[in-house]
Amino acid sequence: MDILLSPQFLVAALVLSAIYALIALGLNLIYGTMRLLNVAHGEIMMLAGYVSYWAFVRLGIGPLISMIAAMAITAVLGALCYLTIFKAILRNRQLAARLESNSLLIFFGISIIVQNVLSLAFSADPRSYPYLDTVVPVLGARVELNRLVVLAVGAGATVLCILFFRYHRLGLAIRALIQQRDAASLVGIDADKINLLVFCLGFAMAGLAGSLIGMTSAISPFGGFPYTISAFIVIILGGLGNLLGGLFGAALLAFVEIYGVAVTSSAYRSVLLYGVFIFVLLIRPQGLVGRRAV
Amino acid sequence: MTNKAWIEVALGGIALAFLAFAPSIVGPYWLGVLLQLLSLIALTQSWVSFSGLSGYVSLAHAVFYGLGAYIMAVFWQELPIWQILPLAGAAAVILAVVIGYPALRVRGPYFVILTLGLSEFVKYIVVAVEAATDSNGRLLLGTPDPEVLYYLLLGLAVAATLLTFWLSHSRWGVGLRAIREDETAAATLGVPVALLKTGAFALSAFIPGMVGAVWVMRATYFEPLELFSPSLSFSIVTIAIVGGSDQAPGPVLGATFIVILSELLWARAPQLYLILLGLLLIFFVLFIPRGIYGQISALQSGKRR
Repeated sequence: MDILLSPQFLVAALVLSAIYALIALGLNLIYGTMRLLNVAHGEIMMLAGYVSYWAFVRLGIGPLISMIAAMAITAVLGALCYLTIFKAILRNRQLAARLESNSLLIFFGISIIVQNVLSLAFSADPRSYPYLDTVVPVLGARVELNRLVVLAVGAGATVLCILFFRYHRLGLAIRALIQQRDAASLVGIDADKINLLVFCLGFAMAGLAGSLIGMTSAISPFGGFPYTISAFIVIILGGLGNLLGGLFGAALLAFVEIYGVAVTSSAYRSVLLYGVFIFVLLIRPQGLVGRRAV
Repeated sequence: MTNKAWIEVALGGIALAFLAFAPSIVGPYWLGVLLQLLSLIALTQSWVSFSGLSGYVSLAHAVFYGLGAYIMAVFWQELPIWQILPLAGAAAVILAVVIGYPALRVRGPYFVILTLGLSEFVKYIVVAVEAATDSNGRLLLGTPDPEVLYYLLLGLAVAATLLTFWLSHSRWGVGLRAIREDETAAATLGVPVALLKTGAFALSAFIPGMVGAVWVMRATYFEPLELFSPSLSFSIVTIAIVGGSDQAPGPVLGATFIVILSELLWARAPQLYLILLGLLLIFFVLFIPRGIYGQISALQSGKRR
């Protein structure tokens, strides 16, 4: 029991919460505004992780700087995806009728493409690089410095996003689209432009998360899938399309994961994760904090 | 029957005649390719009989397949094969009922994610059980010859094709298509939606359970992470989309196309093959949503007019 009270676990759970919050926000944005299920989210993260890896190993640029480039690259990729594929789908009535399954299949196609392009470019081996790995004492716990950086940047970016959605005109427009798509268009919100913005933002958030993850753990071309799954669990916990609910879901999943593994063993990590997920989806499919029925 | 149906039956008959004698014609390499083809046809066909008709995109096929393989590995040399095979199918059906009854209450993306989550859940339970009993990777000794497995898979592929054909022409299939188009309206008109969905979901699990059981005999060892891999579910969906997911000939065409493509490219450039597969998937969803078979049918009926 004493171990559970140690700050070591608390810090680990907070770091994981920050990562999950960031991933889930990006996924939720795209689902919330357009009802598109992005199963390529984890692959976008890995792509950004490789950008930072490459910048560090080849150019000697630290991930704190290269994460900006990574976000820019993933944002451009998001814009390309929207302009070449999803814009047409949203306009085509026949395709839009089965939007969720169609988008799932297309994003699945994109994820295979990204995985294999990465694997061609960097080989399938996992990659990692040493960055700020000195151990510092925090609250009596011994934590690697890079984890604290991840926590700070992740939490900072999440707070910035929340402020953006609360106060900025564009953020408000995005939330209006999530709540009432047709009504938002009627009052003069340019849905097309907002969709493009959401794609860039959502992909850039995945990019930021990917750069951060590369600092602390190894990345590989096929290593994105578990993150996609975790992100799905998080946004189901918080309710699909519910941005703040997603933050709650991120914290819940991270704490269940860290403390659950501490109590049992790491062999049960996935069982635990999916157990919570299925339980919630069966009992309250609208999410723990959601209101609407499904 | 119409002209087109006769042509299809004739082509199917020729293909079947070739497949029936193939083991004595082709060498061991091509027999392996045909094994792959038959198992993909059987799997996709059973997927189409539920997901294609009802519109509920299920990613649970990998778990039925994996469970069947697991049953075979657990009972290997304890029971005769002809008893384990139906047992594997039955276990998958029971799992499908247990999963389907609650899961089919949710629609759209929730169902997709839930089936994916459930199959991962079962996968990691099997991994944990196998780790706890210290039997990481079970070896199957004395498995039957590839020829025997070939005829088993041929039987399963034919059975799955007939199942889809029968289901898509039955009242049941009409009900499922009604659910796909508008579930609420179908329920209002008196279609017993819950029964049809759960029944079709359970029925669609029988074949993959047995295919998994046959395939583990081909692999000769049981490795849960590989046999329960979610990428199988995704491949099945890809094949169904490429071939066409509403009629029995669709999966046959889709699986043949994918297997040929994989033969041409997989050995030489595996990454390129997968990139191409991704592009194809996107292309078909965007431009040929009815799949190869649906497109051919549409072109023919267009000509007649």
